[in-house]
Amino acid sequence: MENSEENTDPVYKNKNYGQYRELFYSYDENGNFQKSVGFHGTTTRVPLEQAWDLFNERIEEARQKVLAGKASPIVYYMEKILADPMGLSMMAGVSLWKLKLHCRPAFFKRLSDKTLAKYAEAFNITIDQLKNIE
Amino acid sequence: MMDSKPVMINYTHRQAGHCESGATSNLFNFYGVKMSEPMAFGIGTGIYFSYLPFIKLMFAPMMSFRNLPNTVFRRSTKYLGVDSTVIRKFSNVKDSMDALDRNLEKGIPTGVQVGVFNLTFFPPEYRQHYNMHNMVVFGKEGNLYHVSDTVMEHPQTLTYEDLVRVRWAKGAFAPKGKMYWINSMPGELDIRKAVKLGVDKSVYEMTKVPFWLIGIKGMRVMAKDIRKWPKKHGNQKAAFYLGQILRMAEDYGTGGAGFRYIYGAFLKESGEMFNNSQLLEASDIMGRTANKWREFTYLGARNCKNRSSQPAEDYNTLGDMMMEIAGMEEQVFKTIEKLKI
Repeated sequence: MENSEENTDPVYKNKNYGQYRELFYSYDENGNFQKSVGFHGTTTRVPLEQAWDLFNERIEEARQKVLAGKASPIVYYMEKILADPMGLSMMAGVSLWKLKLHCRPAFFKRLSDKTLAKYAEAFNITIDQLKNIE
Repeated sequence: MMDSKPVMINYTHRQAGHCESGATSNLFNFYGVKMSEPMAFGIGTGIYFSYLPFIKLMFAPMMSFRNLPNTVFRRSTKYLGVDSTVIRKFSNVKDSMDALDRNLEKGIPTGVQVGVFNLTFFPPEYRQHYNMHNMVVFGKEGNLYHVSDTVMEHPQTLTYEDLVRVRWAKGAFAPKGKMYWINSMPGELDIRKAVKLGVDKSVYEMTKVPFWLIGIKGMRVMAKDIRKWPKKHGNQKAAFYLGQILRMAEDYGTGGAGFRYIYGAFLKESGEMFNNSQLLEASDIMGRTANKWREFTYLGARNCKNRSSQPAEDYNTLGDMMMEIAGMEEQVFKTIEKLKI
């Protein structure tokens, strides 16, 4: 089941990325559409790498904020699953204005286990992990 | 409930460029009809364009190169007169999984709509909240389900819990356990009529929808916006927004150039099948348009590479290029408008 060959194209900083071969179509000068299976080229991968750089930056920024006590762990985990407040409120089933309050440490401390469980399920982690970020 | 016998349907997995048309063509092939991926995509009117800058997807304006989820399967079966069933949503998790198990026991490979984010076997770089992915479940052994995801080279397996998680992914366009399958094939398929219906619908959707953000009009609006981005948002954000277009067009399982190659291949295949000059001419223009899209990607990617400094390519040039692409696509749909077949 594993891929037989490895992608040696150094587009990615993370070696786990870009190891899947996909099917592409192309159009040649003779007017024929061709199918080929292969790795993505460097050029088409640059925008994806750019997006991941931004996401990782945002995650790190949020982590620093939480460690400094300026935001609640919900902010960090929200960035970690690449969600925005609107998306998270849909996923966890918490209304948007409540969620924005829960992003502050003072409100986060007073949350009941029931609400915490909602967030933990959306993040796919345990409540203990939600309370203490790494 | 879980003590059912292992089921393995003799289903052939073929890799495809696009998840839903790949699943549809594989399902047709399972029932003994030779249907290539481009044919399924074209008859099911997969081609589309919409630009919705007021909705942000992964922090950048949303655009879509394909039709709404499940359109390809629904329309291709409808236009070909195939008896199929689509269950839009279930009220709870257990019902949805039981219905899937019953189908598998009857020997019916079943398509399901899933969210990508928690799909365990998916390439890690594609992890995002995208709930319109499609795959076909064709086997079950105890707790393990065998699935055919046409983005991947080989069939994959998922546990019961993982499958529940992806079928009940939350957020925008939540799948809510949606599933679909083919009941039976009629003896003779009228492909000629189906191609005509599919092409007419695509022409309507790309050129005649009375809304300025859909179809060719949407591409023109986007072209104008591209020129404004660096002034409005600064170079860094403009590069990220431009990256969104390129990602949507090239990366996320489109077969290249935002499905334009697949549609061109459909025009070519149906044109050769019925020996129709209109379709063949349109396929040539579509192929050249798709190559132009690829050129656009190559130029745009240079801006994404060095994003904070002065952009390598002028955004005005890129905007002009997008205008040109819009013009070329309009020509394609002008050619196949009022198709005589």
